[in-house]
Amino acid sequence: MSSFKRDKKEEEDSGGNPYQNLDKTIVLQESRYFNQTPVNPRKCCLILTKVLYLLNQGEKFTTQEATEAFFATTKLFQSKDVMLRRMVYLCIKELSNLAQDVIIVTSSLTKDMTGKEDLYRAAAIRALCSITDSTMLQAIERYMKQAIVDKNPAVSSAALVSALHLSSTAPDLVRRWANEAQEAITSDNAMVSYHALGVVAGSRRNDKLSTVKLVTRLAKTNIKSPYALCLLIRLAAQLVEDDDSEASQPYIEFIECCLRHKSEMVIYEAAHALVNLRKTARDLAPAVSVLQLFCGSSKASLRLAGARTLARLTAKHPTAVAACAVDLENLISDSNRSVATLAVTTLLATGAESSVDR
Amino acid sequence: MVHTSMEGSLFEPTLYIIKGMCILDSDGNRILAKYYDKDVLPTAKEQKAFEKNLFNKTHRANAEIIMLDGLTCVYKSNVDLFFYVMGSSHENELILQSVLNALYETVSMLLRRNVEKRVLLDNLDAVMLAFDEICDGGVILDSDPTSIVSRAALRTEDVPLGEQTVAQILNLMNM
Repeated sequence: MSSFKRDKKEEEDSGGNPYQNLDKTIVLQESRYFNQTPVNPRKCCLILTKVLYLLNQGEKFTTQEATEAFFATTKLFQSKDVMLRRMVYLCIKELSNLAQDVIIVTSSLTKDMTGKEDLYRAAAIRALCSITDSTMLQAIERYMKQAIVDKNPAVSSAALVSALHLSSTAPDLVRRWANEAQEAITSDNAMVSYHALGVVAGSRRNDKLSTVKLVTRLAKTNIKSPYALCLLIRLAAQLVEDDDSEASQPYIEFIECCLRHKSEMVIYEAAHALVNLRKTARDLAPAVSVLQLFCGSSKASLRLAGARTLARLTAKHPTAVAACAVDLENLISDSNRSVATLAVTTLLATGAESSVDR
Repeated sequence: MVHTSMEGSLFEPTLYIIKGMCILDSDGNRILAKYYDKDVLPTAKEQKAFEKNLFNKTHRANAEIIMLDGLTCVYKSNVDLFFYVMGSSHENELILQSVLNALYETVSMLLRRNVEKRVLLDNLDAVMLAFDEICDGGVILDSDPTSIVSRAALRTEDVPLGEQTVAQILNLMNM
């Protein structure tokens, strides 16, 4: 009975966390178990989880330790268990910048990336691109182009996001994938459309004229993805900021149009852009009234978004913000301290004598 | 001060939006955390100090959002777990909120609505996969909980046959 009590006490002490007192050396020793056949997926998954947990807690692995763990992990490719395979990919990614000779898994990952199992493909692409350098990239270029236009959204997104990461080290190569990415912008899947726009816009970052063409064309098409729309608003706003002549009027109209979108994320994105672009208080009225509505929302992040953007506006158009004084006054006693602080500072900056009394 | 820096106030047209995501326990200790920007909290020591500070400022007031150390952090808690998503202070708060909702809802579905530490630790591998499916290197990969769960909840053997979907059973038969 007493030993039972002690067990219970010990369990409570560690909060029932089986990962709490893991020892790195012991876990690394356990990973030798990966060499055994047949593979026990459940047990191997648990050991991989322990390795990942240690890395996540900030435990330092030496190059040798990481390399040993990495090579042990590669043995697990012989199992077809989906969960285990996915944990293997995760370990490859986490160990790839600590271990040596990680390119050893290139062929295994290429096989999974081009295989039939959709659940492997997307994750294998992302793992592969995390171990690939620009010289090896050419070998998988063909597969990457195919994956970008794949009909499975997870595969397409994985390829696009990986392309985006790679574009910092191999911009010329990735630019050659822009045609495929262009095609994916019109995807029905919200995330694919968003990632594709990100890749295309990124490849044109230093080419003003083609950015103008891209934004002009897309502003007319009906993009459904809220994330993609937010990005498009940012691109349009940047064009207006660079050149605020008559030529940029269509971009302003596009952004104003987004104020009537059904997603709050897009509405706020548009209002924020307009507040930073528009010159006269009259032009600003629609955007300001949207922000005013946000200040009265029951969601704290909407109130903060509204108050923060109005606070920015005080430097440019104190009069426009003064019209929202009552809404901001209501926020002074807000349960969220960040919101309350913003409201107070904004009111102090715009404050007229009449509002001091209240 | 908030309104002294007007320059660069447009949101940057980038996909690298998420600076970090973490799940802390009721003592503010890290269960899982990922930081995606090398310039923001680069060492584990800085990260943990930030998490402690963040926890101290948020665990009593369930106020959804806080601006701390140049980061906008949205958060949500349940029983003994605290979920956070971090972005730059020049970021659309509602995008961050959508990622937090995805993270919370995904974990909640993975744990079959028992959002508490003990259950989470029993499913730590699936939650790690969920992290990986939501954000890739700071880019939002997916924000639809149902589609994320379909790619993170891969262990089928525990589920009674009656509770599995047809697709899961077919998948099992093909293996």
